[in-house]
Amino acid sequence: MKKSLLIILTACCLFSCEGFLERSPIIGITQDNFYQTEDDAIAAVNSAYAALQFELSPAGHFRWFWGDIMSDDSEKGGSGDNDVFELLLLETFQGPVNTDMLEGEWSANYEGIYRANTVLTYIPDMDIDETKKAQILGEAKFLRAYFYYNLVTVFGDVPLVDHILSASEFNQARAPKSEIWALIQQDLNEAITVLPKKSEYPLSDLGRVTKGAAQALLVKSYLWLEKWSEAQSVAEEIINSNEYYLVPNYADIFTTGGENGPGSVFEIQYMNASGGNWGRNNANEGTFTNIFQRARGQFEGFGFNIPTQDFVDEFSAEGFEDPRLAITVFREGDAMGDRGVFTKEATGDFPHKYYPRKYFNNKAEEAPFGDPAPNGGTNDRVIRYADVLLMHAEAAYHNGNEGAARSSLNAVRERARGSNSTILPAIQSSGQALLDAIYRERRIELGLEGHRFFDLVRTGRAASELGGLGYTDGVHNVFPIPQSQIQATNGLITQNPGY
Amino acid sequence: MKKIIGIVLFFTFLSATAFAQITIRGIITGDGEPLIGATISVKDENRGALTDIDGSYSIQVNAEDAILVVSYVGFKTQEVPVNGRTTIDIDMSENTSVLDEVVVVGYGTQKRSNISGSVGVVTAEEITETPVLRVEQALQGRSAGVQVTQNSGSPGSGLTVRIRGIGTINDSDPLYIVDGVPVGGIDYLNPNDIESINVLKDAASAAIYGARGANGVVLITTKGGQRNQEGKISYESYYGMQSPWKTLNLLNATQYAILSNEAHINAGQVPLPEFANPQGLGEGTDWLDAIFQNAPMTSHQLGITGGNASSAYALSANYFEQDGIVGGEKSGFDRVTVRFNANTDIKPWLKIGNNISFTNLQRQFLPENNEFTTPLVRALNMDPVTPVRKADGTFAYSRYADTDIVNPVNAIEQTHDKWTSNRLVGSVYGEAKILENLTFKSTYSVDVTYAEQNTFIPKYDLSIDTALADAPSGERSLINTVVLGNNRWTNWQWENLLTYNKIINENQNLTVNLGTTVLSNRHDFSGGANTNLPSNDPADAYISNTIDPITSMSAYSGANESSMISAFARVNYEYADKYLASATFRADGSSRFGANKRFGYFPSFSFAWIPSRESFWNIEEMSFLKVRASWGQNGNDRIGNYGYTTVVSNGQNYTFGPLETITNGAIALAPGNEDLQWETSTQTNFGVDAEFWDGILSFTSDYYIKNTSDMLYAAPIPLHVGATFPPIQNIGEVQNSGLEFSLNHQNKFKGIKYTVGGNIAFVDTEVLFLGEGGEPISTGRVQSANANVSRTEVGFPIASFYGYVTDGIFQSAEEVAAHAFQSEQTQAGDIRFKDLNGDGLINEEDQTIIGNPTPDFTYGANLSLEYRDFDFSLFILGSQGNDIYNATVRYDFTYVNRPISALNRWTGPGTSDIEPRVSLTDPNQNARVSDRFVEDGSFMRIKNVQLGYTLPQTISERLNIDKFRVYISGNNLFTITNYSGLDPEIGSRGALELGIDRGFYPQARSILGGVSLTF
Repeated sequence: MKKSLLIILTACCLFSCEGFLERSPIIGITQDNFYQTEDDAIAAVNSAYAALQFELSPAGHFRWFWGDIMSDDSEKGGSGDNDVFELLLLETFQGPVNTDMLEGEWSANYEGIYRANTVLTYIPDMDIDETKKAQILGEAKFLRAYFYYNLVTVFGDVPLVDHILSASEFNQARAPKSEIWALIQQDLNEAITVLPKKSEYPLSDLGRVTKGAAQALLVKSYLWLEKWSEAQSVAEEIINSNEYYLVPNYADIFTTGGENGPGSVFEIQYMNASGGNWGRNNANEGTFTNIFQRARGQFEGFGFNIPTQDFVDEFSAEGFEDPRLAITVFREGDAMGDRGVFTKEATGDFPHKYYPRKYFNNKAEEAPFGDPAPNGGTNDRVIRYADVLLMHAEAAYHNGNEGAARSSLNAVRERARGSNSTILPAIQSSGQALLDAIYRERRIELGLEGHRFFDLVRTGRAASELGGLGYTDGVHNVFPIPQSQIQATNGLITQNPGY
Repeated sequence: MKKIIGIVLFFTFLSATAFAQITIRGIITGDGEPLIGATISVKDENRGALTDIDGSYSIQVNAEDAILVVSYVGFKTQEVPVNGRTTIDIDMSENTSVLDEVVVVGYGTQKRSNISGSVGVVTAEEITETPVLRVEQALQGRSAGVQVTQNSGSPGSGLTVRIRGIGTINDSDPLYIVDGVPVGGIDYLNPNDIESINVLKDAASAAIYGARGANGVVLITTKGGQRNQEGKISYESYYGMQSPWKTLNLLNATQYAILSNEAHINAGQVPLPEFANPQGLGEGTDWLDAIFQNAPMTSHQLGITGGNASSAYALSANYFEQDGIVGGEKSGFDRVTVRFNANTDIKPWLKIGNNISFTNLQRQFLPENNEFTTPLVRALNMDPVTPVRKADGTFAYSRYADTDIVNPVNAIEQTHDKWTSNRLVGSVYGEAKILENLTFKSTYSVDVTYAEQNTFIPKYDLSIDTALADAPSGERSLINTVVLGNNRWTNWQWENLLTYNKIINENQNLTVNLGTTVLSNRHDFSGGANTNLPSNDPADAYISNTIDPITSMSAYSGANESSMISAFARVNYEYADKYLASATFRADGSSRFGANKRFGYFPSFSFAWIPSRESFWNIEEMSFLKVRASWGQNGNDRIGNYGYTTVVSNGQNYTFGPLETITNGAIALAPGNEDLQWETSTQTNFGVDAEFWDGILSFTSDYYIKNTSDMLYAAPIPLHVGATFPPIQNIGEVQNSGLEFSLNHQNKFKGIKYTVGGNIAFVDTEVLFLGEGGEPISTGRVQSANANVSRTEVGFPIASFYGYVTDGIFQSAEEVAAHAFQSEQTQAGDIRFKDLNGDGLINEEDQTIIGNPTPDFTYGANLSLEYRDFDFSLFILGSQGNDIYNATVRYDFTYVNRPISALNRWTGPGTSDIEPRVSLTDPNQNARVSDRFVEDGSFMRIKNVQLGYTLPQTISERLNIDKFRVYISGNNLFTITNYSGLDPEIGSRGALELGIDRGFYPQARSILGGVSLTF
C-alpha cells in the first residue's frame, strides 16, 4: 500500500511542469510565427487599409466633419445642440481641447501609421515574390503618407513615427510640419515608382491604391506647399496616363454603380454586408456616414451635415441653377430615394430645409442583415479625377499657364453642363477672376465631399469666409491637439497656439 | 492515592473485558424536553446510536468504563463515563458559545477558538433563516467586511461579492471553493444544500490559496449525511409573490405638455399645436405602472440523509422558479439542482467519498443596466401623452420620444433572450491513514458547464396600420434576427494532500499539511447569427431556418485555456491551547504569467494568544479573550490568459474587388509583456475575539491594511504609438484599510430565547499609483451627458465621480455676465458652474471629484426570537455614505419625460435655484456631468422578516413525523433612503464603474409562505 502511495506522490511531483504550463493562444498567431508567406504579407498591408475605415473610435470623426461642417458649406444638425455637442463647439471655433472626436482622428491615423510601419518593418526581409513585395511596400508607403496627410492638415505639427516604437521610445514630441511633409513626399515618390496603375491591377484588387492615387495625393501635398510647378507636372502625368476620365453624367458618380468608376482616383471602400457592429475601430466594413447624413424621422437617419443657405445659393450665383445642386442637396419635395418624399413633417422633431445627398443610400441598399447603422455601403470618394483637374488648373494658374488652367477647369464645367448648352459657359477670364472661378468650381464640383474647410485654409481664404463663424487666422487653421495626448506624454506634446 | 486509582482502573479494565457487550439505555433531554435524533457514540469505539422520538436510546458498549459521547446540534457535546451503569439519562445544556465549533479552513478544519487568522463564518441556520435564492445572498450582511451587492433585481442576476473592499481595478471577485473544488461562480448552488460558508478574509488565512487568494476566499461546504444517523426525509417548499416596493412620480400628460410648450418658447420655437390645451390631456400614461407587475416565485426541496457506522449519504433535489416584476416570464428564472454527497469506509484505513451536483439553469432576460434599451429607462423617459395601446388594441408609439425611447411594453413583448446552462460539479476522493498520525487524501474534481444563449428579434412594425409614417425607427424591426452562442467550460483539478497531526505532549499540538494541485481550465465558444427567418415564432429561432443564402450566416468559434501547478505547506502549532501559531507557504506556476515570471511564491504567518486561558486571568465575566496578528501575501491571477504574448489578430479586414470581397487583414493589436505576473496583495491583520458569560455576549473586531501592488493595468500609452490596445503591465497600487466589528448576544428571558447581533465594517480605499505620469482612468460613460462619470485617480477611491460643481441658477442676464464664461448662449435660468481654477472660463479644467460610490461603512443586524412553538427573525442591511450618480433621465433627448421635480424649474428671477429652465436646446449644457446628478445613496433596509410556527412535538409524534414547520416571510419590506431613484441597492458594471444608476431593475418586495417537513 505504501509503495503505491509513494508512486502516486512521485507522479504528482514529476508532472511535467513547464510543458503543462505552456499555453499559447488558440486564436491568432504569435508575432514571431507570423510574416512567413505572401498571404501573411498581404494580410499585413490589408490591416493598414482597415484603418482607413476607422471613423468611430469612439466618437465619429468623419472626413466630412472636418471638411464640411467646419466650413461654411454645412452645419452639424442632429437632434439638437446636445447631440454631439463638441461638434457644435468645434464648428463655432470654440475648440474644446478634450474631445473623443479629435482623439479619434488622432488615434485612427496613428493606428494606420503603426500598421504601415509594421509592414515596412517585417515585409522587406520576407522571402516572397519581389514584385509583389515591392507593390505591398508601395501600398504601405501610400497609406502612411495618407494618414500623415490627414494628421498634418488637421493638427499641424505632430509626432513623426516612421518605425514601430519600442517601449523606451513611446514618449515623442511633435515634429515640425515641414518634416511631416517631407516624409509624405518621400513616401509618395517611392510609392509612385512601384505601385501598379489602376488598369494594371487584376479586378479582384479593385480598391487597392494605385500609382495614380499616389500621384494625386502628391499633387494635393504640393498645393499645400505651394510647389506649383511640381504640382502641375505630376497632375499632367495623371492626365496623360489616360487611366481616368470624367463620366458623362455627374449624378452617376454617387450611385452604387459609380463606385470605383472611371473618375475615381482614391476611394475608401465600404460595404453593407459585413455584419459589423458599433464599437471602437472594430472590424467594420461599413460606414456610419450613411445613417449620420440621412434625415431623421421617416428616413431613419441622424440628420447630420446640414447644407447651409449660403452653400445652396452658391449654385445659383451665375444666374442659373447649376444642375449639380440637385445631386448635392435634397430640397423639400425631392424624393429621398425609395424612402419617400422629403417633407419637413417626415423628418421628425428637428426639421431642416436641406439635407446632403451625395452619401444618401436607399432603403434597398441597406445592410441585408445586422444593424444598418454601422453598415452603410457607400464608398468615400476621397480623390476624384475632377479634383485632379481642378488642382491642375490651380497649379497651372500659379505657374502662369492660364490656358492650361482654363482648359482643365472648363473640362469639369463641360461635364456638369451635360446637354444643356444654356448653362455653365466655358470660363474665359484670367487673373484673379480665373483663380476665383477655379476656387468656386471646387466648392461646387466637390461640395460636401470633405474638401471645403481645407481648401479655404490652404488658400488663405478661411479668415474672410469663416470669420463670421468665429474663425481666427493663425489659430483655427488647425484643430486642438487632444489634451489626453499632452497628458500622456507628460507635456512633451504641446498644444497648438491659441487653444 | 494514584496507586489506588491505578489499581481500581486495572480491575475495572479486567471486569470490562469479562462483561463484554453491556447494553446501556436512557433518555436524552435538552432543557427538560426529549431530544430526537441526538447522537450517542462510544469513545474510541466504532459504534453509535440515535435517540428516538421519545429521546430514548440504547447502545452497546464493550466496557464498563466506556465513555459515551452525546452530541446534538446547538447543545454542548458531553462525555459521560459509563462507570458501570446500565441506565444513563443525560440532560444536555445548550451551547451558547461557538468556540468549540469546528470550522473549515483551507485544506482542513480548525476549532474556532484556535484560529489565528480572520475567518467569517455563516452557518446553515443563518442561511435558512432567510429564504434566499442564491448563495451569495446568504452572505449579505452576515459577516463584517463582506459586502454583497445585488447587480439587479432581475431574477437570476448576479451579485457582486467584495471582501474587505475593492482591492484592485481588475477583477475583485473572491475565490470560491466548494467542497474543495475551485469553481468560477456559485450561481449553480442551491442554498438549501449549504452546510456552512466560511470567508477567509486576511491574507494569512487565504495565503494557502496563493496566486488566487488576493480578494479573499469563500469556502462553501455542502450538506452531507451523518454517520450513525437514521434515514431522514425532508421536504421544504415555499410560494411567494413579488411586487415593486417603490414607484416614481413622473410628469403626467398635462404637466409634460406644459413643460414642452415652455421648452419650445424658450428655444424660440412654436409650441406643438396638439398641446394647446394641456389640461385636456389629463393624466396620460403611467409607464412605470405599465411595465411593473406582481410576479410569483416558488421552491420545492426534497432531501434524504442518513448513515450507518461506516458510511453516510445525502441526496437532494430542488426546483426553483421565479418570475420578474418587470416582464414576468420575460425575466423569469428557473433552476433544477440535484446533489449526491456520500462517503464510506472501505477499509479501516481507507475512506472514499464523492460530492456531485448537477444544475440546470434557465434564465430569460430583458436588457439591464444600460440607458439605451432597458424597459426601466424607457418607462422613465417615455412621454406620458402616448398611450400603451391604440384604440384597436395594438401597441402605440410615441411621436415625441426619440431613438432609444420606444414603447417599453412592446419592447418587452418583442424580447426573446434566453440563457440555458447545464453544469456538473463533482469530486471523488480517497483518504488513507498511512500512519497513526499521517493521512493522505487525493481528490479529483471536475467542473463542466455547457451553456447556450439564444436571442431572437422578431419582425414587428407599430406603424403598419396607421396613415402616419413617423414611427421612430426603434419601433420597427423589419427583418427578424436570431443569434446563438454556445459555451463550454471544462475545468479539472487533481489535488493531493498529506496531513500530519501529532499531539507531542499534553501541551503541544502540531499539524502539518503538505499538498500539490494541478489545475486546468478551458473555455470553448462558438456561435452565429442569421436574419430573415420565414417564421416569426421564437420557437423556430434557429440559424438554419433562414430563407437567405447560407453565405449570409455569420459564425465564430474559439477557445482559450490556462493551467496551474502548485505546491503548498502549512504548519499549525498550538501550545497549551493558549499560544497559537501558523505559517503557510505556497508556490504557484501559472500559464497566465509571462515566460520570465512563471512561478510565484506566497508566504504568511499568524499568531494568537488566549490570555483568558492563562492562570492569572481573573476577569470572570470575560470567559474568553483571544488576540490575533497575521501577515501574508496573496496573488490575483485573473489577468486574462495570454497577456504576455504578442498575438497577431486576424479580422482587421478590408474589402476589395467589384464584389466587395472581405479580405483578411492581420496585425498585432497590443504589444505583449513577457514580464507579466500576478498582482500581489500584502495584508496585515490585527484582531480580537472575546466572549462574556460563556458566550452570552460575543465580540470580534479586526483591523487590517491591505496593499495591492503590481496591479495589472493597461496604462494608456501615447496614441501615436499606434497600437490599438496598450500592453498590460504590472504597475498600479491600491491600499485598503478597514475596521470590522461584530457583536452577538443571546439569552433567554421568561421563556423567550433570543439572539441579537450585528456587524459593521468601515473600509477606506485609496489608489496609490497608476504608473509614471499617473494619468487618471476615465470610465463610466453616460449618454445623457455624452461624457464619462467615473474616474480612478491617485489619491482617491476607485471609480469616484468626476465632473462640474453647480452653484445655483443664474437669475438674470447680469449674473450670467458677471460670472465666468460658460457659453455664448448661456442665459438666465441656466445652471451656474463653479470656476474652480478661477480663469474666468468654465471648461474641462473646472471639473473635480464630486462623489464617492463606495460606502463609508456597511452593516447588518439580526434579531431572532423563539417562544414556545413560535419563532421570529428580523434581518436588517445597510450602507452609509455612498453616492449614486442618477443617469436615468435622457437629457440628450428633448422630448423625454422628466421626474416630477422638473415642475420646480426656473421660470423667472427667484423661482428656482436648483432646477434650470426647460428648453429644447441646451447651449449651457445643463445636463453635463455635475453634482446636480449626484445623490446620497445611503440606505437601511429591512431585508427579511420571518414568523414561523412548529407543530408541538406531542402532536407531531402522533403523526409520526420529526418536525413540521410553517412560516411566512417578507423580503425588502421597508427601506429608508434619500435616493430618488427606484432602488438604492445598486451594483456595479465592471470594476471601474460603480454606483451609476442607468435604470436598474429594482429589487422586489416579496411575501412568501412556506412549509418544512422532516420524517
